[in-house]
Amino acid sequence: MTTLENPLAGLGRNAGAAILILSSLAGGEKHGYALVKDVQEFAGVHLPPGTLYQVLARLESRGMILALEADERRRPYRLTAQGATVLAEYITAQQRVLQIGQARLKRSWSVA
Amino acid sequence: MIGDSDDARRAMRLIRWYPRGWRQRYGEEFADHLEQEFAVRRVDYRRSLNVAYKGLVARVDDIGLSPNSVNPAGRTRAALGTSFVLMALMAVFALNFWSWAMILWSARTYHPIPVDATTGILTATTGLLLIVLGFMTLIVIVCAVRQIVRGRGRPLVAPFVFAVGSGAFLYYSVRWLPNMLARYSHMFQGGYRWTHPGPAAYGLAFIAHRVTQPWISMWDPGISGEPTSQAVMNDLAPLAVLVFAVSMAFLVRRVELPRICERHGSVTIVLLSILSGVFLLALVAWFTAGGPMYATFGETGNIAGVAYLIFLAIVTVLVARSGLLARGVQRDVPSSLSFPR
Repeated sequence: MTTLENPLAGLGRNAGAAILILSSLAGGEKHGYALVKDVQEFAGVHLPPGTLYQVLARLESRGMILALEADERRRPYRLTAQGATVLAEYITAQQRVLQIGQARLKRSWSVA
Repeated sequence: MIGDSDDARRAMRLIRWYPRGWRQRYGEEFADHLEQEFAVRRVDYRRSLNVAYKGLVARVDDIGLSPNSVNPAGRTRAALGTSFVLMALMAVFALNFWSWAMILWSARTYHPIPVDATTGILTATTGLLLIVLGFMTLIVIVCAVRQIVRGRGRPLVAPFVFAVGSGAFLYYSVRWLPNMLARYSHMFQGGYRWTHPGPAAYGLAFIAHRVTQPWISMWDPGISGEPTSQAVMNDLAPLAVLVFAVSMAFLVRRVELPRICERHGSVTIVLLSILSGVFLLALVAWFTAGGPMYATFGETGNIAGVAYLIFLAIVTVLVARSGLLARGVQRDVPSSLSFPR
């Protein structure tokens, strides 16, 4: 497969949640609860708190997001250049899969 | 600062599922996050289960068996502590296995060369394993005492008390050992010839078996003529071994070690994993080469024997994994940052 999977390989089953978080942070820095609300809004997925913080910790340790100075108890996170690259590569690969899937569906099943 | 409302207390209870290092880094914001979730939906069992499960995952990450620790710089210490627990438990089984093998080996007049060779390897690896673990124990205890004497031992007090208490209990449970050694002393002195080590090896194996058999037996009904207190102590011995090993692991993680020990932490773990791997291979080869099977081990039996083998294999894999992870960390992290005080 493509090399873009490497940065997310260690996230295992949480790779999907990681992409959702990176996508949310691509729109600007957010703290944990704002992230959950945003992901719920654009993807219809509710990230449970344990999963959210497990993925945040792993993304932070891999340098894909950056923890900013806490505002009282709420600590915002920001997408890093590395995180943006990983997200962009993932989206490009998904777009390629999407285009191939759509083309094959159209050709074999006449479904757009 | 976390408040003292009902929601704050509930959040704090849930956060206890996570290890200390994780709580120090994410505790405040996670508590705040949970309190906001409570405000929307007060009771949600799936949410509580999610937090508990992820907390346990974080605990596994924290003991040096996963590359996902929130404190990569402390992973070598964590791996060293975990390896100590696993290897201390394995050492008890290894000593017990070796003692049986040596007793059976000594009782035979004919020894095929493979059985001789594997018995020798079992003897050497068990001896080395005990020396390494004993050396680690000595260093950690001495450093812990020094740290306590210098007034910086507050985080060490609880594990130190448990380690000394369980160690004393184990020593008391084998208080008959000096008498037994005196009884068998003739095997080790006078007339002893290096070309005929059989009697001395048999004596050592017999004593090692007497010491370790109660430690690996989960239930000891006692023997006729033995005081009930001794039977109770024998039943508590496996627990005491576990308490001692876990307490030592906490000490390994918290004690201030000399710089040379810190630098060689990952090497020690790799050495332990090699010893456990060699022991396991030698044991399998010993059975394959014609060493007596577990059916002849009157006090264990085949099922227990296979379970022990699986346990040894799991220990070997886990220790090797923690050693490799620790070596990876030492390569990535500058040595001055490897072991924050």
